[in-house]
Amino acid sequence: MIKFTLKEIPTVPLETEQLTPDVLATLDHAAIRALPAFLGKRRHAIQDFFDVEGERSDQIEIHGDAGRVKWIGRAMTRGSVRVVGNAGMHLGSQMKGGEIHVTGNVSDWAGAEMAGGLIHIRGNAGGQIGAAYRGGTTGMRDGTILIEGTAGLEVGMRMKRGTIAIKGRVRDFVGLQMKGGTIVLGGGAEIRAGAWMTRGTIISLEPLKLLPTFLYACRYQPNVLRVIARYLEPLGFPLPVDSAVGMYQRYTGDSAVPGKGEILVWNPHGT
Amino acid sequence: MGGKVSCTLGEIKNRADFIVYWGGNPAECHPRHFTRYTLTQKGKFTPNGRKDRTMWLVDIRETPSAKAADVFMQVRPGKDFEILTTLRALVKGQRVNEAAVADTGVSLQQLQEFADGMKKAKFGVFFFGMGLSMTRGKHMNSAAILTLATELNAFTKFVAMPMRGHGNVTGSDVVMRWTTGYPFGVNLCRGYPRFNPGEFSTIDLLVRRDVDAVLVAGADPGATMPQPAIDHLARIPTIVLDPKVTHTSKIAKVHFTTAATGVSAPGTVYRMDEIPLTLRPALKSPYPTDEEILKRINAAILKKSTWMPVDDQADALV
Amino acid sequence: MLRIKGGKVYDPAHGLNGVVQDICVADGKIVADVPPGCREIDAAGLFIFPGGVDIHTHVAGAALNFARAMTPENQRQATKFFHTAKRRTGIGGPTPTTFATGYLYAGMGYTTVFEAAVPVLSAKHTHEELSDTPILDKGCCVLMANNEILLDLLQQGDVERAKHVVAWLIWAAKAYGVKAVNPGGVAAWKWGGNASAMSEPVSGYSQVTPLKIVSSLARIIDELKIPHPLHLHCNNLGAPGNYTTTLETMKALEGNRAHMAHLQFHAYGGDDWHTMRSESQAIADYFNAHPNLTCDAGAVLFGNAVTITADGPWQHLLYQLTGRKWGNIDVENETGCGIVPYSYKGSNLVNAVQWAVGLELLLLIKDPWRIFLTTDHPNGACFWRYPEIIHMLMNAAFRRERVKKLPEKVLPRIVLPDLNREYSLYEIAIITSAGPARALGLKNKGQLGVGADADIAIYHENPDGEYMFRYPRYVLKGGEVVVEDGEIRHQMGGREFIVHPSYDPKIEDFLRPLFQQQYTMSFENYPVELERLEHPIIHPCE
Repeated sequence: MIKFTLKEIPTVPLETEQLTPDVLATLDHAAIRALPAFLGKRRHAIQDFFDVEGERSDQIEIHGDAGRVKWIGRAMTRGSVRVVGNAGMHLGSQMKGGEIHVTGNVSDWAGAEMAGGLIHIRGNAGGQIGAAYRGGTTGMRDGTILIEGTAGLEVGMRMKRGTIAIKGRVRDFVGLQMKGGTIVLGGGAEIRAGAWMTRGTIISLEPLKLLPTFLYACRYQPNVLRVIARYLEPLGFPLPVDSAVGMYQRYTGDSAVPGKGEILVWNPHGT
Repeated sequence: MGGKVSCTLGEIKNRADFIVYWGGNPAECHPRHFTRYTLTQKGKFTPNGRKDRTMWLVDIRETPSAKAADVFMQVRPGKDFEILTTLRALVKGQRVNEAAVADTGVSLQQLQEFADGMKKAKFGVFFFGMGLSMTRGKHMNSAAILTLATELNAFTKFVAMPMRGHGNVTGSDVVMRWTTGYPFGVNLCRGYPRFNPGEFSTIDLLVRRDVDAVLVAGADPGATMPQPAIDHLARIPTIVLDPKVTHTSKIAKVHFTTAATGVSAPGTVYRMDEIPLTLRPALKSPYPTDEEILKRINAAILKKSTWMPVDDQADALV
Repeated sequence: MLRIKGGKVYDPAHGLNGVVQDICVADGKIVADVPPGCREIDAAGLFIFPGGVDIHTHVAGAALNFARAMTPENQRQATKFFHTAKRRTGIGGPTPTTFATGYLYAGMGYTTVFEAAVPVLSAKHTHEELSDTPILDKGCCVLMANNEILLDLLQQGDVERAKHVVAWLIWAAKAYGVKAVNPGGVAAWKWGGNASAMSEPVSGYSQVTPLKIVSSLARIIDELKIPHPLHLHCNNLGAPGNYTTTLETMKALEGNRAHMAHLQFHAYGGDDWHTMRSESQAIADYFNAHPNLTCDAGAVLFGNAVTITADGPWQHLLYQLTGRKWGNIDVENETGCGIVPYSYKGSNLVNAVQWAVGLELLLLIKDPWRIFLTTDHPNGACFWRYPEIIHMLMNAAFRRERVKKLPEKVLPRIVLPDLNREYSLYEIAIITSAGPARALGLKNKGQLGVGADADIAIYHENPDGEYMFRYPRYVLKGGEVVVEDGEIRHQMGGREFIVHPSYDPKIEDFLRPLFQQQYTMSFENYPVELERLEHPIIHPCE
């Protein structure tokens, strides 16, 4: 295991895209400390900002308020990153495998364009989680993102596959231009959920204010949710699916595209 | 950008018969717009001037621009995205939820009428202002109206363009693009251009305190930005170049008074449709131009010992 | 002063085919001799070529800048150009930023490029971008074939006045030549239409057909003695069966000079996308027999591209076919542009035919002095991939391997498998440099004789043509070493070639009131000021 302890909060954002299991697995202690870390426009070394213990491991721990440290876990394919504290933007961007666990909050773009692996945030997240970068056609292609707290704008924008589950409330445009995949909203969302989606499933356990281009289809007990629940329950994200309470209202949209996405809103009592 | 269908303003003057102003007040903010480009000029295919055109004004409140409109459509604040998305569906003959439409302050019938008007036009145009691009939804509101215009081209000729703010916003967008590849919010810290609105756009950088020095030219963020951004400007070294002492100047460390571009300083301005126009100064100014000041600052920086990010593709971060 | 010692010189303008001799440089020019003691470059075993000349590319101006705005995702992935003490920053990709454009072309041994399409209304913008493109010499062609003032004059039969207007517009735009794109079609696109039938009047006119626009412009350009002929993007670009349009157009040009742009896109047979096939043989046969014509290949390579043309209706069709993002800007009274990012795939039948046709034309057109290497960058492929095409032209076996990778169904539609011709280095020097320079009328370019501009590319020998031409040992521009082993050693501004054809000044009295009526700016603000150009060089019209 390699342990990084942040010495102090950087004055401007610090970019540390080399802090990934793939890079660190083969490096000795001196090489790790010499890895580049960019403070704004200046190139420094990791050791200027972190105390480092350990070497040659794909199990990483980062301690401290790293809310201004960007690109942790970028494009990783293996191993694990555990952040005891906060993490900055682009956490696990384009990752293909491995796991990232954060005890605190994360900023925007966590899991952007990810293709596999797991990200689990205990605190709150920013916006553009699992999303496509600007101009790109596709966001998250696979993998799982779990957020215990709230999240911001454009969660799951242009995602194609994979699962995002959030316990807290999210802001506008969750599932924007979604092409596939699953988003579970334990705490509901602000407005414009599923805007311009073509495919994919958004499941909300709170009522949603939907765009006029989403049409009510029916109220029923979707069987597929049992499969999703079986996957998410052991991860700490239960879904109400048994026959007593597992009724959902199904909406299809977005007819503006026109799309074949669905939004399932939990409706146990038929209100 | 997802794509954009547009034209130069002369095409509007010569051809447009269906003009929509959305979230803007041209009568007060672009006072020559109606008379030079959109409503009263007799164009090549609009020889009857005003009579050849229908103008819809869409806004949350009735402004003086409404006097010039054939139809004023009042919408509830923060509902533009809903309305534009509904219009995208209606134009394609798709179904929508009538009750949800009514929540926008406009009825489904009115929107259907609007959509029909768009499709029947020979040449339609959306001009959209900050009432659309700066309200809840921001860039998605702009994307919505641009996408609607693009989709209307399946039926008729339709374009959309933003109404620009004062100064040379379009010019800076154009020049940034050809030199860096991106229109705004460009980060050069790693030695090459990177773009990510929300991460590198000005308000976000200031509110998050992600920068530790600021140079301001041709803008007054101290007057327009949210308080946390203004507080940060006051906290860090801020340098202002402006013909006037602005709100920002008052909280800055250094203020340079410079000659007013277009009045006493030459240059090129880009019109809202990206057509370049030469500025010929009419007056002389005792003050240096922005260009002179920036060149002198740059010359002084070059005298300092050189440092550069390492020229190594391995250091490139997407 | 500099002596390039002992290299194998390829200078087709003087018939030198790999002759070992020194090349001497002084004051930016090639000279007969330099005194002993000057800097020497040891070029023993190296090949010396005149600097490349790209006769048709899209690298500067409003259309390209619009494409940059539309494709930030391309820019994220593209080559990064780091800011150093010697080099400005920038981004490569299909729509490079201006500084990067200069470095990328120079890095490949190219020293002169021509921006293929400029509207008069935004020409100031084009010239600004060209000024910001380091190292290279440049020129541009101004769009004319959908200019409504001109079309109205042709409608009235006033060809004499049309000639003066053309001359005035060329000078107003500070252009070097005249470009015609989809004559009549772009004007019709202003109402959502097109002009597909060469003999049918253009929408809104009764006397003006695409053929009439083409022949009138070609004649006017020859009468004005513009050094470069009419530069023509034919009607029906990209459409199956369009070879008949191309033949019809070429026939209408008999008796005049013309340069057929990106001919590959205009050499298709078949009735629809399912039956599309190559008709390069028919096009090449006619072309070979008519020496009044030159062309550039406009070849396609598999991979990402961005289509950028003034052909609005074609771009709209491409958007409808592919569903990819679409940009369009119509320019009042003059032209327009359309942009659709696109990917050419080897598994796609249509793309495979396109890929074959470009190579077929390069192999079937006999005279290398009349066909030039281009990809209509960035429409067919990015310009820095020219070395891939060079390799395929020089090595038939390699080409055959590539053909084997195509889908079986394509083989009956193309003739490439039967073509065994291999280009020599001498011929490569012609299609990349000497030929385009001659077609442009640039006497001091594309050649290594005394008096020529010292634009020189020095290559290592390598049996792999792609590798050889991708990594020059040295590149000199105006006698300065700008590139050495892939590094930018020195950069400077380039020059711009323009022409000033003669016209009766009274034509402005005719234009001014029309302009005020149809345009949206003062007539005085319309022309490009000479001062805006970096180092303009006025080339005579004679």
